[in-house]
Formats: sequence, C-alpha cells, structure tokens
Amino acid sequence: MNGQDPVRAQDLVAGYGTGEIVKSVNFSFAKGTFTGIIGPNGSGKTTLLRAISRVIPSCGILELDGRPVNGYAPAELGALLGFVPQDEERPFSYTVLQVVLMSRYARASRFASLSPDDYARCYHALDRTGITHLKDRSIRALSGGEWQRVLIARALAQDTPVILLDEPTSHLDLAHQAGILTLVRDLARSGRTVVGVFHDLNLALQYCDRLLMIQGGHIVADGAPGDVLTPEKVREVYGAEVVATSHPATGRTILVPLDIRNNGDGSLEKQKVLVISGGGSGGDLLRFLCHNGYSVSAGILATTDSDYAVAKALAILCIPVLPFSQIPAHALEKLRRLAAQADRIVLSVHPVGTGNYPVLEILQGMDPGRLVIHLPDGREFSSYDFTRGKAAAAYAALCTAGASCTRTCDGILTILDGNTAPPPESSVNRP
Amino acid sequence: MTRTIPVITGLVIAAALTIILCTFTGPAGFGFVTTAPGAADIVGAIRFPRVLAAFFVGASLAVAGAAMQALFRNPMADPYILGTSSGGALGASLAIVLLGGLFVPLFAWIGAVAAILVVWLIAGRSGVISTETLLLTGIAVSFFFSAIVSFLIAVAGQNVHQILFWLMGGFWNASMDNAILAAAILVPAGILLFLMGRDLNALSLGEETAAHLGIDATKARWTVLGGSTLLVAGAVSIAGSIGFVGLVTPHIVRMLLGPDNRVVIPAAILAGGILLVLSDTLARTFFSDLPVGIITAFIGAPFFIWLIYRRGSVA
Repeated sequence: MNGQDPVRAQDLVAGYGTGEIVKSVNFSFAKGTFTGIIGPNGSGKTTLLRAISRVIPSCGILELDGRPVNGYAPAELGALLGFVPQDEERPFSYTVLQVVLMSRYARASRFASLSPDDYARCYHALDRTGITHLKDRSIRALSGGEWQRVLIARALAQDTPVILLDEPTSHLDLAHQAGILTLVRDLARSGRTVVGVFHDLNLALQYCDRLLMIQGGHIVADGAPGDVLTPEKVREVYGAEVVATSHPATGRTILVPLDIRNNGDGSLEKQKVLVISGGGSGGDLLRFLCHNGYSVSAGILATTDSDYAVAKALAILCIPVLPFSQIPAHALEKLRRLAAQADRIVLSVHPVGTGNYPVLEILQGMDPGRLVIHLPDGREFSSYDFTRGKAAAAYAALCTAGASCTRTCDGILTILDGNTAPPPESSVNRP
Repeated sequence: MTRTIPVITGLVIAAALTIILCTFTGPAGFGFVTTAPGAADIVGAIRFPRVLAAFFVGASLAVAGAAMQALFRNPMADPYILGTSSGGALGASLAIVLLGGLFVPLFAWIGAVAAILVVWLIAGRSGVISTETLLLTGIAVSFFFSAIVSFLIAVAGQNVHQILFWLMGGFWNASMDNAILAAAILVPAGILLFLMGRDLNALSLGEETAAHLGIDATKARWTVLGGSTLLVAGAVSIAGSIGFVGLVTPHIVRMLLGPDNRVVIPAAILAGGILLVLSDTLARTFFSDLPVGIITAFIGAPFFIWLIYRRGSVA
C-alpha cells in the first residue's frame, strides 16, 4: 500500500442503515491506472464506489490524496473527485449544455456568471464524448445511451484527478462502448486515477489495468485482469461456467459463458461424460454436452482433428496424439483411466482403421450400460469400417451387448439424464 | 438562453404596468379621479396597499413554489407541500374560534411554521432525512392538521364563514403594513434563493448528484427549505392559503425560459406578482370581492390539468 496513492482505504466498512454491504476492505488506487471493480449482483461494487465518493457514510480509514475523506469541504471534494452514475433522474428539461455546465458550479462564485474557461472546458468535454450536436437538446428527449454520455461529459468537464464510474457503458451500443472506454482509459494514461464498476467482464478484461473482484462485501481477488478473471475464479464467485480463450484478433483473453443446467435441486454437481470421437464426428457433441452443463472429457484425438480444436477451445481434457500413426500404449492407458472415471461414455460413431481400433477393444471391456452410441447420420456401421469388418463387428457387438443407441443429441440427453433405456426407434437403425 | 434578457425585461415592465393600472382599477371606477366621495382615499389607502400586498404575496408563493419543485425534483410540487397551508389554516381557525378573530395573521404564521417544524422533527427522527421521507411526512401532517380544521369548522357555529373565507384566501384587509411585511420577507429570501440557483439546479437532479458536483447538498436543502418556509408562512399569514399561484407560475416561467433556476427564480418573482395582482383585481372589480383563491383555482386548475396532459414536454 502506497501512501502517495490518491485513493486509499483500510478496514473500510460501508452500508445503508443497519446493514454492512462492504465489510472491512483494504485497497489503494494508484495514479494513472484504470481499475475495474467486478463481482456478482449485490456484492457491494456500487456501495464501495459510493463510500469513496462520500455519499454514504463509512467507517475505517478512507483517504483521498492522503487526507481523510471526511475532512474535505464539499466544494474541495467536488474538485478532486468526479462521479458518473449509472443513471440519473431527469425531472426538468435542462439542455445538455446546462447539465454539463453543472460540473463547474463548485468552482464558480455565486455572485458571478460562469467564465469563458468554464464554457470552453464543457464544449471540449461534449466534443470528446461525441455529443456536441446534442448540446441544446432537452435532456428529457435523450435516449438512455445519449444521457449516459452526457453524464460522462459532465464528469470530464469537472476535470478531477480521481474519476469514479458506475457501469459507465451499460446503456451504450457497441461502438460507443468502445469509444467511451478508450476515452476513459486515455484519462488514466494521462495521469488520472480512474475506477469503474463493470458488469461486463470482457469489457473489464479489455480496458482495465487492474481488477478488484468483490464477493459478499469482501475483496476476493486483486491484480492483473487476466490473473483475476480465470474460469475457476468466475465459477467460484459468480457460480457461472465460462471458458477463457484468447481472441485471435486482439490477443486479449475473452470469457465465453456456457449454458448451465443444474440438477433440479440447484446444485451444480455434474455428470462426467467421456466422449469418444474422431475425424470431426464429435465437435458438435462436445459443444452440446458442455453447454448443457456436463463435465465433459474427450478421448484420444489427433492434433489435426477438428474435434481436438473444439476440445481445446472448450478447455476439455483430452488425449492428444500425432495424426496418421498407431496410438501409443500410454495413450490407451490414459483412455482406460478416463473411461473408468467417467459416469457415462458417449461413443460418437466415427471412422475406425487399424490405428484407432484398439479404442473399440477398450470399450468392449467396459460395462455396456454406461455406454451411449451416437449414430448421427444413420449410416451402416460398415461405412465407418476401414479394418475389413473388424470395426463394424465391434460396433454391432457393443449395441447387442446393451449399449444405448440414439441418432440425436437430444436423445443423448434423455439417456444421460434419465439413465433409462434408449428410446425404441433408435434400435431400428441397428445394422 | 438568448431570450432570457428580453423576457425578464418584459416581465419587469409588465409588473410595473400591472401595479399602476390595477391601482387605478376597482369597483368604484377607473382612474385617480372618480365620482365617488373620497376617491383619492380609495386609491391611496385601499387599492394601492392591496395591489402591493397581492404582488408580494404572489411573488413569494411563486418563488417558493419554484424552489420546492427543484428541491423535491417534482415539477408538480406545491409551495404548501410540507403542510404550510394546513398549519396556517389551523392557526387561523384557532384564532377565529378561540379568540374571536384576534391575531389571525400571527396565529396563521405560527401555525405554518409549526407545521414545517413538526414535519422536520418527524422526518428527522431516523437521522438521515431523505427528500422522500420529508415529502410523505408533509402530506401526512397536512392531512392531520386539515382534519383538526374540519373539526373546528364543524363546531365553529357562527364563525364558520370567517374560517371558510380565510381558507379560500383573499386581500380584504390588506394594509400597507402587510405589503411592507411581505416585501421585507421577499427581498432577502428572494435574493437568497436566487444566489442558490445553481445549487437548486444540481439538487433538482438528485442530492447525490449535487454532492458529487461539489455542492453542500444538506446545507443547500435546509437553506432553501428555510427561505421557502418564511416566504410561504408570511404569505399565508397575510392572505390565507391562495392556491395554484405557487404551483402554476414556475411552470409558465420554465416554459418561456427553460429550467435554469438562476433565471426561473427572478422570473417567478415577477410573474407570480403579476398573476396574483391581476387575479385579485378581477375578483374585487368584477366579482364583488370574491376570495381571490377562488379565481386562482378557477383559472389555475384547468391550466394545471392541461399541463399534466402535455407533461411530456413540460418543465
């Protein structure tokens, strides 16, 4: 913790009335950084921001520029700290310019008009937020996004070394989100201390220098965006399944949420499903099962296989092998272990040659009740056989031994969920 | 706004003309010289003080209304919103029933101020006072005081007329002293509210917004409330509770000049004065001295309804 930092808090407690929302947090925000505050709904993000700006009372140490925040006169505080709220009531038809000029009130004398310099700063702020053309418009006639930009322009014209933003882009379209956040980041680059509350984790990842993750009023992670927003942390704090991937265009980490299904009792305990596929047969299935909330692993996949790319993107455990070669013994051994750990095994019917035939042999050694065979095209097993009949026979043997067969992904869900016998039509397609 | 200066100048001229012309107008005829005996006395001793009192009371109500509307972030708020009129009515009714009509203005003033203090104390019990709490407490206290006034009317017997006339508001007994008293409150309170114009602008977007803009929101709120209370209590003690002037005038002004309170406050002072002088002249000249509150309500209420209809573009 640095004594020079413009914003510094120690054992800060804040809340409304009787309830403590922010519980004994420590932080300091350095000059020239854009810090994002993230956390699930009701975790205390906005409360923390409002405690810093002193509109709600707090206990503990809270210092701005090395002085206790309560020691500031209102006008001093207004010259030091600007605040962009999520939204604001608009009961009267002020013009946009009139609202932005309010940023200069604290510095103006009651007995004088606002100065040309005040006007110049406001025009500049209107220009930077791209709303100069709206300056004479009534604020009541603005869209939510335009109004949000007015609020940002007002904070800009307030020209304070510390700027706090509460979800500054929640009403903005894609282009304006990028424009405003770039502007905000530039403000930080020019030496201001900028702190923003974010709901959109990807925006926070993309624009912030540092993230502070809050849960239940406590700071649970603090650091570089990529280190704070790991899929594990997001699962732990938000209860959401995401995968992290690096965007090929920006090289930045992006988080992609997966659909979540709980087990009906609110728990997230998931069935472990091993998907055996190959030659691109299992890509859709891997995605489908992941999005439906199963804990998915994949079998042996050649690194050139598109299934391998899908597994990698979804952060699915698999056993990569070199393409066009005999599967090594240690890979088969791993597969046996994976199969033993899985609750169910889904075999996506795929081309089998002598190279990958041993996989079918392993499956034949398993309890067929755990096995689901997915035959998406409804073609004969023989059309997948490149072993002169051995593979087709093995597929057929698995079916007759009691494995469930289905042609559709929904059919797989039914089987996995119900642990029931396969729907009757699926047996029609048995060769 | 570019039309601020012409409009304000126009209002100043209109105010001067209104005061002069209405002083010459009355049931006894137009002009200084009338055929009635003692005409000069009518103009100097009756009409002129009455016109001045009406002007200052109208101005007080309008400026207090503008301030309250900004403070409560509600363009439909009324200067009596925190119970001033019902408090004043209670004080006046008590004076009429118990003291046979002595000290009515004093009691009305005490009642009006007491109502605000009661609201203040009740709303302030939880420590932090929100504008919403203040508003709701004001409504509750108003109803309670009105109930007592209704009770007094029910048991007042022959005084019932006096109470009812007081409730409707008028300037029958307006004297030069009243006019001076109203002006003595209006001038300092009006200047104070004008100087608070920017604070009012910021407050009208919310107390937190005002605080974030570097304004001492709590101090500004109490200053504005204190000034408005003195204005309204003074008006009530002189003329009873005259409705709609304080509610409608700020609207008209904002329609002409926009919502900036540095402009609205002075303009409301002029416009409120003009409107009440005209209403009172109408009442005493053509309607055999009806309570002016009836005239303001008769014109103000339909206007207010029209405002609600086109609320989208108002304020």
